[in-house]
Amino acid sequence: MTQVLGNKHMTATPATRVLGVVALVAVLLMALLGLVVSPADVVQGQAVRMLYLHVPSIWIAYGAFVLTSLSSALFLVRSSRRPDGGRHYDRLAGSAAEVGVVFTGITLATGMLWGRVTWGTYWQWDARLTTTVLLFVTYLGYLALRRLPADPRTRGRRAAVMALISFVNVPIVHFSVDWWRTLHQKASLSVGRRPEITGEMYWTLLYSTLAVTIVAIWLIVHRYRVIRLEEMRDEEALEALIASRLKEDDVQA
Amino acid sequence: MDLSPRNEVENPGEFRRKVHRNRRWAVLAATVVLIAAAGFITAQGLRNATLFFRNVDEAVEQRPELVDRRFRIQGRVIPSTVRSESGVTTFQITHGCVVAFVQHTADPPELFTSPWIPVVLEGQWVSSQAQTVAGVDTHHFQSDRMLVKHTNEYASVNEQRVSEKLPKGFLNDCAFEVSASES
Repeated sequence: MTQVLGNKHMTATPATRVLGVVALVAVLLMALLGLVVSPADVVQGQAVRMLYLHVPSIWIAYGAFVLTSLSSALFLVRSSRRPDGGRHYDRLAGSAAEVGVVFTGITLATGMLWGRVTWGTYWQWDARLTTTVLLFVTYLGYLALRRLPADPRTRGRRAAVMALISFVNVPIVHFSVDWWRTLHQKASLSVGRRPEITGEMYWTLLYSTLAVTIVAIWLIVHRYRVIRLEEMRDEEALEALIASRLKEDDVQA
Repeated sequence: MDLSPRNEVENPGEFRRKVHRNRRWAVLAATVVLIAAAGFITAQGLRNATLFFRNVDEAVEQRPELVDRRFRIQGRVIPSTVRSESGVTTFQITHGCVVAFVQHTADPPELFTSPWIPVVLEGQWVSSQAQTVAGVDTHHFQSDRMLVKHTNEYASVNEQRVSEKLPKGFLNDCAFEVSASES
């Protein structure tokens, strides 16, 4: 891509490089706290350490899908009023959805490993697990839809509608453990409810959520810029094609 | 300005139709795969989601309808009742002050040894004379699959608590006597 666009077009800036270093340090500290400093659980033993990646991952996925929905709604409402057709909203929606899908995948993978140790099985079709895998598949569909060839505005509009439909499942996933009987335990962190987690484990969980959030922001920024670069590549390729055709026409004339 | 290729394609109309046809099939195939995946997941989920398990009190109450049917039952393992012999583990589970005797024929998960751990068992009622802490029962639950249902409570091993904490009042008003701290 840099061959087409030139080396000045990169996804990193001094600010994002600093953010990247901060994210790396935050993850290393998270690993230290989660694997060494925080204690084992009285019932689950060492398996509880999965908590520090599993729970933050799904919270980040929820956050990313909220961002996708807001950006998609703004794209639908404002695209006609913006000179660029509101494409930055579409890019933000796409990059946030990619990160959301990655973290939903991490949630499913860590959940399966954790489930094998604690429940005694990798998978059960209970309400929480089923709605989470449905969330994963739905947003994969959203990303596939974004790849279908169409003019940017039509594609953006289709994707935005799909994003808003897909978001309906997010609260269903979160409240599934309250609405139905599930093998999955109730939410570890809930707004307005005191968590049943010992101090040092609780603080490690909160810190892990912060560390994973920094990583997610870094990823979204870079994916946003990659999408922008892809658009620039396509635009430059089209301009080059027009220029060569004009030259041909001039020669013939 | 006409930007379509000039020399490579002999019949541009047919070429365009072919490209659109191929694209349409690709979109259709992707849509069918995604709808099938979503449908399969939803069907699997709906079958289990609304009633993943019955608690012991419900399973005993609904026994006439459940006899000869495979289902899942949930309750907390009464620690003093666990016995293991020749690959068969017997124990009693309780929920809602109702007790069921369980005969389990597979290896229990690792966390089963934790006192008062909630478990979900897959199997069926079998007619027998089963002695439980609450008296004699006419059936026992024959199980071949056990899942441990841990809670969302996490406590350090450094604390004094050595077992799964019973919810407040879990054994209150029960007609039978079992020590809540028994392990």
